[in-house]
Amino acid sequence: MSQATQLPDDAFAPLTRSQHVQSLSRPSLSYWQDAWQRLRANRRAIISLYLILGLLLFTLIGPLLWRVDPALQDVDQISQPPGADRSAILTEDYQPWYGDPNTPGEGLRLAQPASTQAVRLQWEADPDAAEYRIYRNIFPVGTERALGLPLFETPANQTYFEDRLDLRPGVYFYTVVIMDSAGEETEGVILPDGQTPGSLPNQLEVEVKRVVTLSEARQRGLVDADENPPMGTEYQFAWHPLGTDYLGRDMLARLMHGARISLFIGFFAPLLYVLIGVIYGSMAGFIGGMTDQVLMRMADFVVALPFLLFMILFKVVFSIGPGESGITPMLVAMIILLWPSTARLVRGQILQIREEGYISASRLLGAQTNYLVLRHMIPNTMGVILVTLTFAVPGAIFTEAFLSFIGMGVAPPTPSWGSMCNEGIKTMLTTPHELIFPALFISITVLAFNLLGDGLRDALDARMRNRE
Amino acid sequence: MSEPAKSPTPALLQIEGLVKHFKLARDQYVHAVDNVSFAIAEREIVGLVGESGSGKSTLGKTLLGLHDKTAGTVTYRGEVMPQRYKPDDFQKYAPLMQMIFQDPYSSLNPRMTVGEIIAEGLKLHSRQSNQAITEQVAEWLQRVGLEPDHMSRYPHEFSGGQRQRIGIARALILEPEFVVCDEPISALDVSVQAQVVNLLDDLKEKLGLTLLFIAHDLSMVRYVSDRMAVMYLGSLVEVGSADEVFFHPKHPYTSILVASNPEPDPRQERERTSTTISGEIPSPVNIPAGCRFANRCPKVMPECHKVTPQLMPVDNGDRLVACHLYHG
Amino acid sequence: MPEEPTNNNDTLLQVEDLQVEFATYGGTVQAVRGVSFAVEAGKTLAIVGESGCGKSVTVQSIMGLTPMPPGRITKGAAYLRGHNILGQKTINGKDIRGDQIGMIFQDPMTSLNPTMNIGNQIAETLIVHRGYSKKQAFARAVELLELSKIPEADKRARQYPFEFSGGMLQRAMIAMAIACEPDILIADEPTTALDVTIQAQILDLLGDLQRETGMAIILITHDLGVVARMADDVLVMYAGQVVEHGSVDSIFYESAHPYTLGLRAAMPSNDPERNQELTPIDGSPPDLFQPPVGCGYAPRCPYAMKVCAAQPPAVHHIGPGHEARCWLHDPANTQAVPAIHNATQVAHHE
Repeated sequence: MSQATQLPDDAFAPLTRSQHVQSLSRPSLSYWQDAWQRLRANRRAIISLYLILGLLLFTLIGPLLWRVDPALQDVDQISQPPGADRSAILTEDYQPWYGDPNTPGEGLRLAQPASTQAVRLQWEADPDAAEYRIYRNIFPVGTERALGLPLFETPANQTYFEDRLDLRPGVYFYTVVIMDSAGEETEGVILPDGQTPGSLPNQLEVEVKRVVTLSEARQRGLVDADENPPMGTEYQFAWHPLGTDYLGRDMLARLMHGARISLFIGFFAPLLYVLIGVIYGSMAGFIGGMTDQVLMRMADFVVALPFLLFMILFKVVFSIGPGESGITPMLVAMIILLWPSTARLVRGQILQIREEGYISASRLLGAQTNYLVLRHMIPNTMGVILVTLTFAVPGAIFTEAFLSFIGMGVAPPTPSWGSMCNEGIKTMLTTPHELIFPALFISITVLAFNLLGDGLRDALDARMRNRE
Repeated sequence: MSEPAKSPTPALLQIEGLVKHFKLARDQYVHAVDNVSFAIAEREIVGLVGESGSGKSTLGKTLLGLHDKTAGTVTYRGEVMPQRYKPDDFQKYAPLMQMIFQDPYSSLNPRMTVGEIIAEGLKLHSRQSNQAITEQVAEWLQRVGLEPDHMSRYPHEFSGGQRQRIGIARALILEPEFVVCDEPISALDVSVQAQVVNLLDDLKEKLGLTLLFIAHDLSMVRYVSDRMAVMYLGSLVEVGSADEVFFHPKHPYTSILVASNPEPDPRQERERTSTTISGEIPSPVNIPAGCRFANRCPKVMPECHKVTPQLMPVDNGDRLVACHLYHG
Repeated sequence: MPEEPTNNNDTLLQVEDLQVEFATYGGTVQAVRGVSFAVEAGKTLAIVGESGCGKSVTVQSIMGLTPMPPGRITKGAAYLRGHNILGQKTINGKDIRGDQIGMIFQDPMTSLNPTMNIGNQIAETLIVHRGYSKKQAFARAVELLELSKIPEADKRARQYPFEFSGGMLQRAMIAMAIACEPDILIADEPTTALDVTIQAQILDLLGDLQRETGMAIILITHDLGVVARMADDVLVMYAGQVVEHGSVDSIFYESAHPYTLGLRAAMPSNDPERNQELTPIDGSPPDLFQPPVGCGYAPRCPYAMKVCAAQPPAVHHIGPGHEARCWLHDPANTQAVPAIHNATQVAHHE
């Protein structure tokens, strides 16, 4: 061998060895440390974990930072999407108006700047007109001639109209249709100022600004009682980061408080029923024999009960009184109906562990039953229990949301994500944010818990597989 | 190890007509151990060999009370052991008899550190301070060839042989007199088997242990034990000094078992004629009448199917064989 | 490992410098570190070694059975009749696995489908690889079961795996493995889970089948008794490398590597004249998580020299077809070689 020439002189001298033949080269890792390492390598699970932690912060710390009463109604801002303009201009008190033929311009036009107080329209008389019918739409009118809401019909001699019907800040489209003497609509409309006849019905686009009178501003606390600011001063109404619902309640505050309910049920129901399942299952598995048979048949009986029907029955039996939220009956029903799956799982695990060598060894060393269960059996089922728990949480959250959504869960006005969805779905088309936000929270939470559960199962199972 | 192979009189453990049946279904029983009687003398190593399904492990576990006895008695130093052990019985006998388990993977709780596993016996039996217990655990770790700082590690970090050492330390920390070794080396690599066997031998000498060494590796059992008992389908077919049984088997089953054992010697293997017997060990649920080995026995006689042969002495008395060939 | 010239016509499978790694948490485990060997038709090659020495990984990666990832073949080639089969599933449109190389495992239960009867499972291989009709295939399956000496093969073919005992299952697996008359049968610890009497039956069966069909057998085992009984050539593996390679006689009677000697000394001798102490090999195999710098066996080797811990040993020629990867046989070494010959004589009774 050529390399032999480069060897030191004493290369073939006997090796003096330190007697550390049984040393271990890999770092020491306990079961949980190893599982944590594996979980940490799973990016989806870790993102989910952060999401869940964020959610907990949102629920627990959020209401301390965002001190808005979830039941408080802001009547100025009803069904406001997030980011909507919340400025209001100080204006005079309302004065009646009877048209103003001197309004500059031709055709259909605004007599005064449009505000939430009133939109004042003025137009020139049409010789063919017997009457005018005024329409308002929140969308531009297309070829289908869906003109929107018919507001009023004015006689031929009244060429002005004042709209005060539930005005919100935003854009409105007004159309004035010419009616014939038989009281039928004609094709003709009053041309808005500066427009030429087109294929589409000619309409006037009006941008409505929010205004507030001095007395209103004082009432809202925008202006001090002794202050007298000039007209036209701009004020900002209360801020609702995620908008308001159909009763003008702050969405963010409601989501935070709703999360409390959802997560309370989501954590406590599984925690309690998994605990019951663990105790019940380990009893059945450990005692075995006839006791096991009887206990498991009881569990089968509970499994056979139709879940939804029983939830509704519970709701009826517990009959929620005024001022009660309906959380307790839901919690109790879930605990009573959902423990058997955990009990079965734990029983199976215990039956398996009962045959392991270390149980025999411990029995031979004189271990009492409770020592065997607490020291050997439960720690070895912890992994499975933890995974079950992680999967049970989104299940419970979803059940709560579903029950509240169909109106069988928490009673209004207590917010919960499910009941918020229920309320939001009614105005889904006009103000989708009222549905989207709670639905998003439910989806993300359920997804995060499921992904975390998946990651946890993989992390814990891997350890079981690579026992060598 | 080279002590005379007679069964010395003051038996430490006396087994009389031990039966263990497992109920399978109504009127269906697994006859795991059927009417086994023999004695183990103090400081003796008895090897128990047999194929899987012969009931050798069940016998070992029944001796220690891990299974209830269906019938028969086990007498330990003149005291009749309970038919069914309660936790208090285990507590009482734990300092006397222990077991070393086959599977070094499932016999150590994966959630406990090695220190906790070895200390379990002391924790359950003595009111010593944690400090004193830790010291004893460290000492035992060294005694079984591990290091004291392995105490805080978990079983999965150790190789099979090292785990078996941990299992040995756990069983011996209470310094019992009688230890059942249930296939302690079957799951280990050849080079490690010798380590464990030598360790057991060494500890046996130092602590004056009596061992029941259960295994299926005949040459290892011959090497380890003073006496050897061969089991087939729940009953003993041959008992005698280890060398005698191995080199001069009397029961046809023992002969076949010895002949099937491949020698690590190619020349010998090339010379050997085929010694296989057809068939497999029958199910222990439906035990045939007569001799249990009759349906596979190359020397079967009509009588074998009718009368169950009893374990009886042949020659000068230290050899017991259950075969009609010798008890015509 | 520098081999003899390999244009031998009998060489069926030629593996050259195979290296396999596994990615695990915290690092790479080099499970196989440069393994070369050749298998000849009609011969049995035994691969011996302790668990974790890489013997199963070697054949599994040749067969493409190693899960990748985490496994990765980093180097090497395996030529089946001159075609490199590493990473291939077929040669010239013929499946390698099941068709040209058959395989049996330690635990037959895991490689059989529990919901399909044995006959159909064997027939399926024939339908897939040989294009038999269903009826033909089943008839052939019964023949194969008979060939594997399963009594009442006709009836047994219609039974399901759970109705078979361990020995019978292994026979059924053998029947399935030889269904397509493969050139090579890989037997990965085929008798480890079986009792000695059943082991003897299975080994006899394998020997008979080899004589009848002339197939080559690669036998993976840790039992030197099985090696002595079955093998023509032996490959002793340690820590992912071949440490000694030779004919069965040279391995047993002229053991050149201290590990081979150690293995033999750790087994009880069945010689009534001698009641020698068992000499265990101290310690445990190295964790290939941190491959050793020098010889992997050095920490356990009674003959270890300074150079062993520092530099990997080269392969040295001992006799015809007999090689050992050990510094003791380095020409520059003058002192320690006698020790090994003495040990050989002690361990070998004449």
